[in-house]
Amino acid sequence: MYAFQYRKAKTLKEAGELLARDDEAKPLSGGMTLIPTLKARLAQPTQLIDLNGLSELSGIEVKGDVLSIGAATRHQEVANSKVVRDALPALSSLASHIGDPQVRNRGTLGGSVANNDPAADYPSAVLGLNAKVITNKREIAADDFFQGMFATALEPGEIIVRIAFPLPEKAAYAKFAHPATGYAMAGVFVAQTADGIRVAVTGAGPGVFRWTDAEQALTKKMDAAAIEQLTLAADDLNEDMHGSREYRAQLAKVMAMRAVAAIAGKN
Amino acid sequence: MDHQHLFDVGGTHLSRLEDLRLIKGEGCYAADWSLPNQAHAAFLRADRAHAKIVSINTDAARKARGVLGVYTGADAVAAGYVKPLSMLTFAGKDGKKANLPNRAVLANGTVRFVGETVAMVIAETALQAQDAAELIEVEYEDLPVTVDPRATLEAGAPQLHDNVPGNMVFEQEAGDAAAVDAAFAKAAHVTKLKLDCTRVAPNPMEPRACLVAHDAASGGYTLHTPVQGINMMRMQIAAYTGVPDDKLTIKAKDVGGGFGQRSIAYTEYVAAMIAAKALKRPVKWVSTRSEGFMSDSHGRANYIDAELALDKDGTFLAMRLDWIADLGAYLHPAGPVSPMRNPVTCLNGVYKTPALFGRWRVALTNTVPVSAYRGAARPEIAYTIERLVDEAAAQMSIDPGELRRRNFIPKEAFPYKTPTGSVYDIADFPGVLDKALKIADVAGFDKRRTISGKRGMLRGLGMSTVIENSGAGMFPKDEVLIEVGTDGNLTAYSISHSQGQGHETTFAQIIGDALGIPAERIQLRQGIAEKGLIGNHTGGSRTIVGAGTVCHIAAKKLIEVATPLAAEQLGVEPSQVAYAKGEFQSKESSKKITLGELAAKKPLSVTGEGKFGSTFPNGCHIAEVEIDPQTGVTDVASYVTVDDCGTVINHTIVEGQMHGAVAQGWGQIFGENIVYDPDTGQLLTGSFMDYAMPKAGWIKDITIADHTTFGTISPLGVKGMGESGCTASLGALTNAVMNALRPLGVPPLDMPLTAHKLWQAITTAKAGHGEGR
Repeated sequence: MYAFQYRKAKTLKEAGELLARDDEAKPLSGGMTLIPTLKARLAQPTQLIDLNGLSELSGIEVKGDVLSIGAATRHQEVANSKVVRDALPALSSLASHIGDPQVRNRGTLGGSVANNDPAADYPSAVLGLNAKVITNKREIAADDFFQGMFATALEPGEIIVRIAFPLPEKAAYAKFAHPATGYAMAGVFVAQTADGIRVAVTGAGPGVFRWTDAEQALTKKMDAAAIEQLTLAADDLNEDMHGSREYRAQLAKVMAMRAVAAIAGKN
Repeated sequence: MDHQHLFDVGGTHLSRLEDLRLIKGEGCYAADWSLPNQAHAAFLRADRAHAKIVSINTDAARKARGVLGVYTGADAVAAGYVKPLSMLTFAGKDGKKANLPNRAVLANGTVRFVGETVAMVIAETALQAQDAAELIEVEYEDLPVTVDPRATLEAGAPQLHDNVPGNMVFEQEAGDAAAVDAAFAKAAHVTKLKLDCTRVAPNPMEPRACLVAHDAASGGYTLHTPVQGINMMRMQIAAYTGVPDDKLTIKAKDVGGGFGQRSIAYTEYVAAMIAAKALKRPVKWVSTRSEGFMSDSHGRANYIDAELALDKDGTFLAMRLDWIADLGAYLHPAGPVSPMRNPVTCLNGVYKTPALFGRWRVALTNTVPVSAYRGAARPEIAYTIERLVDEAAAQMSIDPGELRRRNFIPKEAFPYKTPTGSVYDIADFPGVLDKALKIADVAGFDKRRTISGKRGMLRGLGMSTVIENSGAGMFPKDEVLIEVGTDGNLTAYSISHSQGQGHETTFAQIIGDALGIPAERIQLRQGIAEKGLIGNHTGGSRTIVGAGTVCHIAAKKLIEVATPLAAEQLGVEPSQVAYAKGEFQSKESSKKITLGELAAKKPLSVTGEGKFGSTFPNGCHIAEVEIDPQTGVTDVASYVTVDDCGTVINHTIVEGQMHGAVAQGWGQIFGENIVYDPDTGQLLTGSFMDYAMPKAGWIKDITIADHTTFGTISPLGVKGMGESGCTASLGALTNAVMNALRPLGVPPLDMPLTAHKLWQAITTAKAGHGEGR
């Protein structure tokens, strides 16, 4: 770890200003990606701006048909929250399978979404539900937010404050965990909403994406069999020693089928 | 001796006496030691696999804040720390000795693997040392790289060391080549397999560390470092440095996992001695996990072409092996020995195969040096034999249990002299198999396979029946010292060091049993150099046979030594004194004196000793798996172990050892794998992001049972058991997977059997059968 300045922000406004003033500063939330990166000497920020404890970033509530979760909410809180479990059980289930207990007790929703690791779980729910990412500056639709591997629409000094998840009629998430890390090799969030069916895939490609062929097939018939004959184009998927593109395409399909089956099981 | 009634002191499921201390964070591991005025080390490591060092510029590092000194290969050469100990001293094929490469503790002119220690920075803080290490400028001239263990022996492969032509350190043959050739010529059936026992990283919980102090007045060094036995470490440090034994004090208390990885005088420890002497300050170094992946010894890495010849009834006629042991870029002291010695000792496994022959070649590659890893090639030979047996059974349509039974060494044949000269003292292989078949309900397997099939799952059952050598040891004897406290509590001292095996409990139980006192009243202390004991390190599952047995011997000796002292105090003849439960009593009167009271009169201690031959723990493991053809994921539906480790001192500890060793086998079969880039020699699995350790959720129930024959080597009847879970699980799990996949036409596969690999194999096999994808 290289030396850096540590600043604990007292308000969201101050945090935004500190970050906007220094391109080399990094916001610190749960630190579950940032701290290991620092320890491995793979990053050398000038400052860490600690967002922990900012009241603006906390709280879980349902208003109408929207579940709003503060960005600093830890995965374990999402997993354990009765509000989330009642309103959007697919999300609490997703959160309960992130990383390990240590990660779940530190890592945060906002941190995960802002980092946009291509194998993180949360982006699939944000995109699958067409959630709104609410920052200290604006609201960003999920379809506009994720811009490929570790890239998002966030500007310098922009901090995620809350994420507003429109409640679907039904939803489910199925994940094939990476054998070493527990990240998604393929994680598929399927949501049946008033506006139609959305299928978001994380882990398999360079960033979370919607599998539109599957959405169309499921719109015709909400049944796992509807996607069994589909093949997810493998060309743009990830390939490494842990799995070929074709394997990831297969896993994405199987996870999609399992998510659909889980939704069907909730009838 | 009535072994069955031996260990009722405190119960055979006594919870571990050390656990409360350890889970309360009161353990003392290597990084917990500190000395006044200590400085900190950081190492610059090779970032490439094979290169000449053209120049090293340390100027900027020397000027960096807090830096006290920077050391390079020139300093290692000046100190003469260039030649590690090797135990490969015997002659091989055609009487040829090994070609042993040198290794300066800081690279001297050439780097040969990613992670090799190139320079050492000493600073006031660890962080300063790490920062300064990045300021060292090394100019390299890249050399071609060889990482494939088979290709490295071929003509034209890049050469690592001038004195190791063809990258081959050593070649050895064992067995009777002519008899094997003759048997193969008349065989009705031959089964051939090409097997990779892949390279794994031991990854003990505690990282390596050292704290080295030099005393200018005496010229002596003190090293605090994790060990499996302080004597083994001292011997290696002495050999590497030329510093005599009596000037070296090794200190260790708690050790967080070993698996063979701790038994080595690593370059960092020896290099730290240079700095501690030069700077006149203690030097501390604690490895990061990333450094561990690229500098702790790796394990396994054995590549075996194997053939089994059978007659038409399935009787084994002969086995032939061609074995390549990949030792990495340099040799650890015992690294090249165990892949030859242990397989040869149990080359026939549990079978009466009459003719055996093997060729072993010790190869070098541009990779991390390899050494013993839980089992030290015992798992590899067992895996080789058991894969052959299952494959032969399938090819000949003979039930795999029945094929084994036909070839077992029968119960009445013990003691049994094997074709390679070992003497198996006692075992009951059919009894072990029968018990395992019953517990695993093998009779009901077909029904379970049908049920799985209806759910679209591929079910398989696999077994392995194995034997391994334990006991013996390289030191002249094992000693245990027992001191009696004035309160009647006992302190025992051993060299064999626990890295988690629970010696504090088991040894206390053995001593307590012999003396008739509760185990809780006996405290074990390990790694106490001042006591000057002789003994083996903990390794090869031998500690219970060696130091464990000597605990019994020492306790009996204590009674013998103390009886005349008690008689004197009681004013009677020694023959008139009876000992029971910590007290001596006159047979003539009711006068008594306790051990503690005797010790209060005059310090009371004894040293017991013993030397033991080889023991042969054995067992049968049966795994049942269910494979999801959609994802390739294997679920181990059940796992049964039936082992004969002789007398069981403490079932809780034996079960814990079995859980851990099976988990390690499980890890190797389904996930763990060290992968190097074939072109660059870069380590591709250098962190837990890519190296898949077995996780709690993978392993569900393990059903553990024993089928005991009491060993004849130790008076306790013990045989050892720390490694048998690795030895048996590699074959059982792989055979189960192959049993599930063989009906699809999947050819023999090698570890690791990742979901990805199995899915590809299933998909390819289905495509081959015209089912498409």
